Amino acid sequence: MTNTYYEFFCPVKVIAGKAALEHIPYELTGLAAKRPMIVTDKGVRAAGLLDPVIAACEESGLDIVSIYDDVPPDSSTGVVRAIAAIYRNEKCDSIIAVGGGSAIDTGKAVNILVSEGGEDIAKYTGAGVLKRALKPFFVVPTTAGTGSEVTSIAVITDEAKGVKLPFTSSFLLPNAAIIDPRMTLTLPPHVTAATAMDAMTHAIESFTCMAKNPLSDAYATAAVKKVSQSLLQVMDNPKDSLGRLELAQASTMAGIAFSNSMVGLVHSLGHATGAICHLPHGLCMSLYLPYVLEFNLETIREPLGELLLYLEGPEVYAATPASRRAEASISALRILRDALYKRCKLPRTLKETGKVTEDQLDQIAGMAINDGSIMFNPKEVSLKDARAVLQRAWA
Amino acid sequence: MLAKRIQPMTSQARRLYVELMFQVMGRALQAVSEVDREVREEAQALPKGFLFEMMVMPDGAKLIVEHIGEGRFHYHGNSAPRPADVSIKFKHVTHAFLVLSFQEKTSVAFANDRMLVDGDVSYAVRMTRVLNRLESFILPRIIAKRAVKEYPENLHLPEKLISAAQIYLKIATHFVQTARA
Ligand SMILES: [Fe+2]
Repeated sequence: MTNTYYEFFCPVKVIAGKAALEHIPYELTGLAAKRPMIVTDKGVRAAGLLDPVIAACEESGLDIVSIYDDVPPDSSTGVVRAIAAIYRNEKCDSIIAVGGGSAIDTGKAVNILVSEGGEDIAKYTGAGVLKRALKPFFVVPTTAGTGSEVTSIAVITDEAKGVKLPFTSSFLLPNAAIIDPRMTLTLPPHVTAATAMDAMTHAIESFTCMAKNPLSDAYATAAVKKVSQSLLQVMDNPKDSLGRLELAQASTMAGIAFSNSMVGLVHSLGHATGAICHLPHGLCMSLYLPYVLEFNLETIREPLGELLLYLEGPEVYAATPASRRAEASISALRILRDALYKRCKLPRTLKETGKVTEDQLDQIAGMAINDGSIMFNPKEVSLKDARAVLQRAWA
Repeated sequence: MLAKRIQPMTSQARRLYVELMFQVMGRALQAVSEVDREVREEAQALPKGFLFEMMVMPDGAKLIVEHIGEGRFHYHGNSAPRPADVSIKFKHVTHAFLVLSFQEKTSVAFANDRMLVDGDVSYAVRMTRVLNRLESFILPRIIAKRAVKEYPENLHLPEKLISAAQIYLKIATHFVQTARA
């Protein structure tokens, strides 16, 4: 499956590694920004993750003008409006989002309002509405998984209508993503595992789905390799800052891969399960990954077999006959999931989550086959197919 | 200008082909929603009055259908009574030609960034399934296989022949009616 045509785009400056946070003042100054606002959540603040960011700026004589630390896990239009009002009152001129998916999405949405004007973010929903660059915007991820620092999409809940509003535009991409191992050092084990498996899924789906292309393939394989090599090490030694950096980079690379080549059925099922059973996204990814790969197997035998090299290394790859490599990739993932289950009880089946009942499977299947990501799954998925995959993932 | 002088017929022919295919598909969508239970079941989940559009950017050929309730579509030709709820926009007439002449699968065209989707994505996914079903109905199997990701299993030859005949008949009558009106 080779695309005869593709597009690839990632204009985000990646600032990664030891003491990366200390580059923020220089980068802000380079964009003529002097009055940054931090958008974050209570968890990040309580974990003390803001301190190094603030210190890094103050030491360079740059004051953080305002800090909004009340972003909820599911950000809403009301929150976005409130933050935009503070931004305007305080005469801020740039945004630094510090956090996971929700804080980053909120930062993107606030940037639309403060750059384009108005109170109603719903006005800008959809694709291609924005026509020009927004205010300087930096992202400091505090989880290693979502890849939101390099995606051009934000999702915000309209609480009045009870719907999720998608915003897509390349102008939502931050000017810079700052990847500092200090920010993920204190992630609890089950979050580390689930988010890393989200990154793994981004890489594997982007490598095996319909929109794969040579550039996203390069990012995807590198990300698979980093997660495979570092995840268990970090689980056993959470303070391993080199390992943490590897996972954080893998997450960004997988993010670059999937934002250019999209994801498939693992995400369709995960989005539906998240909405219906309120399970964390990364957990769903880890859970569904092998079952979906088995469903897609005959369509993706070649690329999936190739991934064995990055999952298990050259010795195993060379020792495995070409015709068995795809299956071997799936077993490698199953072994990784077992190892994670042993270390932090990351569920491998829907039953193990304790939060899904068997009679919800029909509803999940029905929702999953209307998820946008299903269009990029390499194999056509009917309602019956989705239900069958869910049954296999049940227990 | 130069391009026009080199290939005047080809581009004109493509444009005409795309316009004609949009007309055929629009009529076929209406017809298939009257005869095929599966399409109706799929369409039933769409709101009544839901407008679906396929178009060539920036201002080319258009196909507009409305869900008039109970899973049935009404073909509006190329002018919409109000802004469409879901719009599939081909970036260039060449891309529309590739898809509508079944040289590029709809799903591949999506994956290859040949077109944009505007509006509620879950409705767009539903409409893609309807279009796939439609294509496998009205096209000979060999071409339909090229156009859709997977040829439906439950589309056996007799059923296909009968339904396709029914659809063609409906399209034909629709054409005649339109011509008369
Ligand atoms: Fe994900």
